[in-house]
Amino acid sequence: MAKKTQQTKFIGQVTKIRQTEPQTVIEWPRALTHVHTYGMLSPFFQGLKEGKLKATFCPNKKCPEDRLWIPPRAHCPDCHTEMKWKTLRNPVIGKVYAFTEVVYAGTGIELSTPYWQIDVQLPGLATVPKSYLLYGKPYIGMKVMAEFRTEKPSNTVLDYYWVPVE
Amino acid sequence: MITFKKGNLRVPKWNRRVFMVAGGTTAYRKFFPEYKLEELVMMAFKQMLEDNNLKMDPLEVKGLINYAAYGEFADHFQDQLLCEAKIHDYLGLDPLFNVGIKTGGATGGTTILNAAMAVASGYADVALAAGWERMDEVDTRTGNFYISTAACKDFETRLGRVYSSYYAPMANRFAWAFNVSETTRAKIAVKNRLYACSSPYAQQPGKHTVEEVLASPMSAYPLRFLECCAMSVGSACALLCDEKTAYQLSDNPCEVFICGGTHTLRVADRRPMDIPLLPNEIPGMYKELVKEGSRWPGFESFLAARFAAYLTYRMAGIHDPLEELDLVELHDAFTISDLQTYGDIGLRPYGQEQDYIESGDAYYGGKCPSNLSGGLLGTMHAVGATGIFQAVECLWQLQQKYDQFHGDSKIWKKWGKTKPRDWKSLQIPKKSKQALWVSHAGVGSHVTVCIIKKS
Ligand SMILES: [Zn+2]
Repeated sequence: MAKKTQQTKFIGQVTKIRQTEPQTVIEWPRALTHVHTYGMLSPFFQGLKEGKLKATFCPNKKCPEDRLWIPPRAHCPDCHTEMKWKTLRNPVIGKVYAFTEVVYAGTGIELSTPYWQIDVQLPGLATVPKSYLLYGKPYIGMKVMAEFRTEKPSNTVLDYYWVPVE
Repeated sequence: MITFKKGNLRVPKWNRRVFMVAGGTTAYRKFFPEYKLEELVMMAFKQMLEDNNLKMDPLEVKGLINYAAYGEFADHFQDQLLCEAKIHDYLGLDPLFNVGIKTGGATGGTTILNAAMAVASGYADVALAAGWERMDEVDTRTGNFYISTAACKDFETRLGRVYSSYYAPMANRFAWAFNVSETTRAKIAVKNRLYACSSPYAQQPGKHTVEEVLASPMSAYPLRFLECCAMSVGSACALLCDEKTAYQLSDNPCEVFICGGTHTLRVADRRPMDIPLLPNEIPGMYKELVKEGSRWPGFESFLAARFAAYLTYRMAGIHDPLEELDLVELHDAFTISDLQTYGDIGLRPYGQEQDYIESGDAYYGGKCPSNLSGGLLGTMHAVGATGIFQAVECLWQLQQKYDQFHGDSKIWKKWGKTKPRDWKSLQIPKKSKQALWVSHAGVGSHVTVCIIKKS
């Protein structure tokens, strides 16, 4: 005989009803953490915490692309050779290529709004990396210098940013 | 890739001709508690089968379908993996094969491309292309974060968590490079939101002024709220078939030509290159285009859109788009993305994009009106459905069915609205032959350009 005392119990949270008109709408809570690797780009993020801006380059002498990459890549997109690292010499000085003031940001934003997001052109780079300006107001062509969050780093790309060069 | 080898520029060629005969759509809303997702897709599917004057019983038409391509932007939004299977079963199409398509904002266009390839190859005689998005399960800011994960999660997402902040730097650069006033951008928002007033499907119709657009709250400078599309819920679908079936089903099928292009997810990684020229452009014409320090495509243009147009124009035999096209539907997720695209698809030469608006060409009654559907700004951006919705609007326009699908008070009533007293038809003239639409993802990561021709 089956025992009634061994019945399956409901152990979840009671689902909240948000509204019943015009139809029933429930709440479905989600909270999750992804475990995400920086992979072969880990030296870049490690470098930021040490006050170093690191780029990659293709060591293949026959490759048509001889410039530096930030964001870095582990493999050259043109010849597939494994890239090598180069630390840019401080002070790293660049020019604002484009910019925006972020006023309304999405959930989870880690910078206090409003702030200036800037795209910076650096000599020798094939790319124009996106970052932010710590203070001041950017314009296209403005000279800026890289600084680093070496104390209390965030362990993200936010560990470097730019300041105006007077 | 920045240098092309011979094979890269091959113009696609169907093994047999492909046609579009019917379309369907739901209305679009920010919050749509009345219906589940599969119910919305069914409503679009029914409109496609039942209301397009097909010369066969709706269930007989359904019985001709061999294949289905389904567009959905993000599993995050639906919170349902394999949503395609659920929808497909709900439409009663098992055991036909179906495939899910995901190319960001270009998902709708890619879904049509996939369905067209099924027909062109002979896998199917009749293929369904349907798309949807349900963006109302999370609040707007969380939705913005979800979308921003379609920027690079390591190097970009944390720098904005809202997609306007990836377009805004392009807007500033564009204004600087080509001396474009904010008023031109604002006019695009005014135009498309006004056209949405004629659509029973529209989410954000409005009779705004340029001043109102520029005074609306800032999202990311210089893009204001009224220059950005909104979170959307809804579905659209289209029916593609081979030539023989097309004429069995319809007296006015439209032939389909569609190609795609891609470019880096990060704008940062766009390397300078030569401009692939459209059929009406001349070598050397862009020599003086870029100011010192600029580059093509830079932050101003979209290689993916240019590449897709390069192929599609040759595939469809278009020489001068402005002269030969009677209607375009562009991906106005932001006013700036709309403006940038005018150069990419040759409505104007690069550097003169703003003139397409300022000249009046882009307006109803103009040389080549754009986004009479209300576009993304005025009507919808339920992402997976968008490129399909715009395809269907182009089809109905060429079939002279704008009024049938927009002016019928019953359709307004079906979606809980009243047809406005001052409703205005936006039907393009009878002599119109060709329409184009652009489906566009990321900051230009994937773009399809499609042309349909009245046959
Ligand atoms: Zn290489």
